[in-house]
Amino acid sequence: MKRIAIDPITRLEGHGKITIFVNDDGTVENAYLQIPELRGFEKFVEGLPVEEIPRVVTRICGV
Amino acid sequence: MKLKIGIYWGAACGGCDVAILDTHERILEIAAAADILFWPIAMDFKYDDVRAMPDGHLDAVLYSGAIRNSENEEIAVLLRRKAKAMIALGACAHIGGIPGLSNMFTRDETLKRVYIESESADNPEGVLPSERTVNDGNELELPRFYNTVKTLSQVVDVDYTIPGCPPASMQIYSAIGLIADGMLPKKGSVIGAGDRALCDECARTKSEKKITKIYRTHERLPDPETCFLEQGYLCLGPATRSGCGSRCIKSGVPCRGCYGPLDGVADQGLKMLSALASVIDGKEEQEINATLDMVAAPLTTLHRFSLASSIPRRKKV
Repeated sequence: MKRIAIDPITRLEGHGKITIFVNDDGTVENAYLQIPELRGFEKFVEGLPVEEIPRVVTRICGV
Repeated sequence: MKLKIGIYWGAACGGCDVAILDTHERILEIAAAADILFWPIAMDFKYDDVRAMPDGHLDAVLYSGAIRNSENEEIAVLLRRKAKAMIALGACAHIGGIPGLSNMFTRDETLKRVYIESESADNPEGVLPSERTVNDGNELELPRFYNTVKTLSQVVDVDYTIPGCPPASMQIYSAIGLIADGMLPKKGSVIGAGDRALCDECARTKSEKKITKIYRTHERLPDPETCFLEQGYLCLGPATRSGCGSRCIKSGVPCRGCYGPLDGVADQGLKMLSALASVIDGKEEQEINATLDMVAAPLTTLHRFSLASSIPRRKKV
């Protein structure tokens, strides 16, 4: 079986990779999209003053 | 001869990449001066294209984003090897930035919150991302999610830093001009920023500061002409490098320090604490402490962008 990796996927905001597993006859057995990225905003906004949140979560995506 | 440059992001939001594009038509001048050989947000080169380059092939790499996982670090090491000049672009690469706030928690607390407790998570089996997974006999890998967020200079040798969240576009343009003209200053310099504190460039009226109360921004309306700190609003201007053009101040909100500390300052938050202590009006320790206690979430406010580069770096666990 052949394995094809598209790493990183490009021309988008964020990180991602695609791995394709190809059978010997050329058919695709499985294809996976993985997002290797996590910063953890869900957790680290906890405990911040509420009036500061708009200035923090704008850094989730700057595009 | 045309420069060869690479642009990459670790744990980032893409705002630094957009700040490069926000040079608008000047991007054509950048393209005339430099061939961009790697830039995931905008071009199709892959990691293998970078691996295939001879060492030192790139004149400069602009690396934005913090080091959050093993992929961020692995690519930082790879690009360092391929680059003559490694440049930290933006607050995350420089001082950890907003992703560095994650150092208030452990890796496990973060993973649990995101993948199990999150209001939108549908994960009854409590599956967490793992470095190796086998699915239908297919083996898949993910980077290792670190316990502690690091800055770029904590994992590779950094030659120059362009600070800011995001760096002002014209500052990036000027910095690329320095590379193109071979005018880079001594290694280790901050480029594309000022060498004074933000307060020195702030247009607000300043007089002697004596504060007895610290206000949160929603508690009353600040006067638009007077120094924030003088009015009792915590503003990181005294402990922050200039170069942003006072954009937050002009928008009516106090500085949170994204341009990082001035040269020679080891901990931006502590520098601010020292500045704050000097303007509090009070004689008795108890009185001074009562005012300092009004700072909401002091650790993450004083180190809003710089926690990962601070002396403690992270909350003790």
